[in-house]
Formats: sequence, structure tokens, C-alpha cells
Amino acid sequence: MTTTHAVISCLHANLAALEAVLEDIDQQGISTITCLGDLVGYGPQPNEVVQLVRERAIPTCQGCWDEDIIDGLNACECSYPSQLAEKRGHRAHHWTADQLTEENKAFLAGLPMTLRKDQLLFVHGSPNSQHEYLLPDMNAFAALERVETAGVETLFCGHTHQPYIRELSGGSIQVKVQARGTKTPREETMTLPMRRIVNAGSVGEPRHGNTKATYVVHDPISGDINIREVDYDVAKTCQAILDAGLPDVFAWRLRHGFEYAERAEDASHVCER
Amino acid sequence: MPLAMSQVWLVLGPPGCGKTSWIRDQLVRHPGPCAYWRLQGPSFENLEQGLDGGIDGAWLNDQIPELQIPAGQPSDLLMDDRLLRDQELLMVVEVQHFQAAISTCPEDIHPQISKQLANLHLKPGRIVNFGVDSYLPNQDTLNFTTLEALDIDLQDSIWDPNSLSSFWFELVNGAYGDVYRAKALVNLPDGRCFFCNWIVSQQGSQFLPLERIEPPHGRPKRLSRLVVQGKALNPTGIRSTIEECLFSDEVLELHQAPLRETNNNLQPTR
Repeated sequence: MTTTHAVISCLHANLAALEAVLEDIDQQGISTITCLGDLVGYGPQPNEVVQLVRERAIPTCQGCWDEDIIDGLNACECSYPSQLAEKRGHRAHHWTADQLTEENKAFLAGLPMTLRKDQLLFVHGSPNSQHEYLLPDMNAFAALERVETAGVETLFCGHTHQPYIRELSGGSIQVKVQARGTKTPREETMTLPMRRIVNAGSVGEPRHGNTKATYVVHDPISGDINIREVDYDVAKTCQAILDAGLPDVFAWRLRHGFEYAERAEDASHVCER
Repeated sequence: MPLAMSQVWLVLGPPGCGKTSWIRDQLVRHPGPCAYWRLQGPSFENLEQGLDGGIDGAWLNDQIPELQIPAGQPSDLLMDDRLLRDQELLMVVEVQHFQAAISTCPEDIHPQISKQLANLHLKPGRIVNFGVDSYLPNQDTLNFTTLEALDIDLQDSIWDPNSLSSFWFELVNGAYGDVYRAKALVNLPDGRCFFCNWIVSQQGSQFLPLERIEPPHGRPKRLSRLVVQGKALNPTGIRSTIEECLFSDEVLELHQAPLRETNNNLQPTR
């Protein structure tokens, strides 16, 4: 039996993409899957996607969209980078909230913020917030701090929709202590072992340069991590967007590999509501 | 009759071939007074003339404040003793002309243009023909066969800058139809105005700030407009997206009040 597991994130109500990714995972004989949230939002099939995750009993942590659908738009008003993105986001929010069944809303409401297994932590945005972006070029010290304070070796996250593996090695903390009555300060250095941040990308709203769904496969024994890209029927989801009455431009953006709304550029953004 | 101390140039070319930029460069170099006039281009089957709506003139006037854009008969300028004095006036007449392959002989000018020139009592001494004259940039002279045009008045509109960026990206990349040409004058809340310029054959868009900056007190009363040319355009989609990019009075005040209070706003010019 394989110990290899798959990590998926940011499904965004895109059923065709989720089905293709699950099929790819199944073909590899991987039975353990973890989901990093954002099951809904922007996409046309919120109930179908939540239902499929529930049927497969995939352990899932709560994403920012999952939280907002339950808590309302006040959950985080500061995460839209433009007025246009905000208005589109609000329209998608109201549509999704209207579509979701009470049972599926209850499921999203009950999702945990984080999942932990041994030295692995699974979150949507960061250990601090579902809304914080851990971008691949984020300041190394800040990135290391996020992993170290979580007390794990590897942090799996999503939210940015850009898959990446970032190894944080050679980290150390150096302090100089000047004690009373001594002339020379005492130096103390703590060397940190290598830490990793792994972003699973996005199943339903890819933002890595093409339209393929992405997720990651992790082998905890060898430490190998592979980012996988999966073709799916993009046109089918685009048609479903139009059929659902969502903005036409959502379909255009998905078809061209652009996110529905723009992402926030501020990697340190943490909602302080 | 035009005086000897003046010259008229007729500049012809298809949309987006660089006529206005070339005209600006010539006018800046000209040591004497200068004037600009735009004629209605000749109509060709399936090619809808894009209404310029004054965008090019406003852009040129911002770059060259002393530029004369006649309100009445342009030929009057050619006989204005106060303007001419000892200097030679250069008047440039711009025309959008889809079919580039015409000769530079005055006799071969399209009849619709000749008629307009005659009515205005203008006799070009030089004809500049983009797509024909080898000394002109020719990278943008597209062979248009079918074209629709859309003109949107944006007077009194103030854009959210990040929304403008998203809208322009979608517009020129085909979210609202196959756009060949787009140009606009747009106002930002800090008092700046940008000339946005794009043609399908060029790499990227131009976003050129106007020299004139308005104080951050409400909505400036200057020309603001969007002109789009292309195929299978979606005017409804364009208009509804623009609506979502523009600031309401309340939101505009939220952006402008801090600029006034901190006195860090851009200084109004002219």
C-alpha cells in the first residue's frame, strides 16, 4: 500500500476539473487526498463539487470562499484588489450563496481551519489566516516564520493558485547578548533545519500560465513532491458558467487561463476584521 | 487664398498606424505656430469609421499647449496676420484612410477627402501617406476588410486605477470581441489623465500621462472618451464593465479627501 498522498486546493465549483484530477489521482493508486479549501466561488457547480468531496470523504480545511459563504461578505472586505474585482466577486458570492443547499453550507461551516499530520500542516492561505497569500517570492524570513511557528517541517497551502515548492534551507537566528558587567557580548546562534512550503495550485481556477488543473503528490518517505497538471474539459465548464447566468467574462477568463478576479499582490495581507 | 507663410500637410493612414504620434513629433519640431485639423475619412464597404471624438486633438493639445485647433474654418488661420507675423504656420490635417495603397499625387486623393478640403479652402502642399511613403513607420498598416466601431463618452467619469488596468487588459485581449484598435482618454482620482493607446499589431499598450493635472476636487470637466474598432464587438459587455470600474461620488471623495488633507497630491498644472 502506498503512503503517497495527494493535495488538492481551490476547486472553485469547477466540476469537470475536479473529476479529471480525481481520476488522475485514482490512476496512480493514491487513496489519501487532502483538500485545502475554496470548494466554491466563481464557478458554476458549487453543490456538485461539495457533494463530490463529501462522497469521497476527503479531509478538507476551510478556504476563504468557504468561510465567506457562511459568514457573509463581511468576512473579509479587504481582499479585492480593485473595485471591478470586488463587484464581480460580490456577484459570484450572492449567486453561490443562493445556489448552495443548507446541507452543503453546513458542511462548509464545519470545516476546520487547519489539518495536521505528523510534521505536515495543511492550510488554505497560511497558518495565520485563510486570506493571507504565501506567494513564491515572499520574503524568506517571513516565509520561514510561517512554517517555524506552526511547528512543522512542511506547510501545504493554496490560495495563490500558483503551484510551487519552496525550500527554506540555511535558516538561522543569531542573537548577541550583552550581560551586565561583561565587555564582550555573547553570541548565540540557532540553526534551523530545512523547511518547505508547498503550494498545491488550483484545481478549478488555474493561474500558472495555462488552463490545466494543478495539484501536488507527496511521498512522505522519500520526501519527493511532484506538481501535476491535468487536462480537463474547459469548454464544458465555460458553457456551464454561461448557462448559470454568471458573468460571461468569467468564462472568457477561465478559457484563457486567467483567474476570475485578480489576486491581491500584497503577500503580507492578513485580514484584521 | 492662403498666404505664402503657411503650409498644409495632409496625413493619411489606417487606424493605429502611428499618424498622431508622427504628427506630434513634427509639430514639436516646427519653430513657428502650428495647427491641427481632423477630416472625416472616406467610407469603404464593411469598414466603419471610428469616431475619434476629439481624443487625438486633446492629446496633441496637451502635448503642445500652443497648438491651434480651429473652432471655425481652418483656412482662416492661414490668413491670420496676428498668428503668422514673420513665422511660417504649419497646419496638419489628419485623415483615417483604411486603404493604404494610394499614390501621393494630389490628383489621386479620394474624392470624399478632396471635396472636404475644397469646402475648407485647404490645399495641401505635402501629402504624407502611411503605408505608401517608405520613410514612415509601416509596421502597423493593417489590411482591414471588416470593421465595427464603438464610441463611448466618458465625460465626468473617474476610474478606479486597478479596475482600469483589468478592463483594458480584457478589452485588448478579446473579452469583448476582436479589438483591432482602442484608444481612450481616462481620468484618475488623483487628477491625472491618461491617453491609453493600443493596436493589434503592436506589442503592449501605451499609457501616456497628460501634462495637465487637475486638482483632486471632484470630476474634471475635460474630454474623456473611449473609441474601439474591431469585429464582433460586445458593446453591452464593454459598457457594463466600464460601469463597474467607475467611482461613485462617495467613493471618489474617499480617495480624494486624503490627497487634499495631506497636501501630498499632485500639483495642478497650467
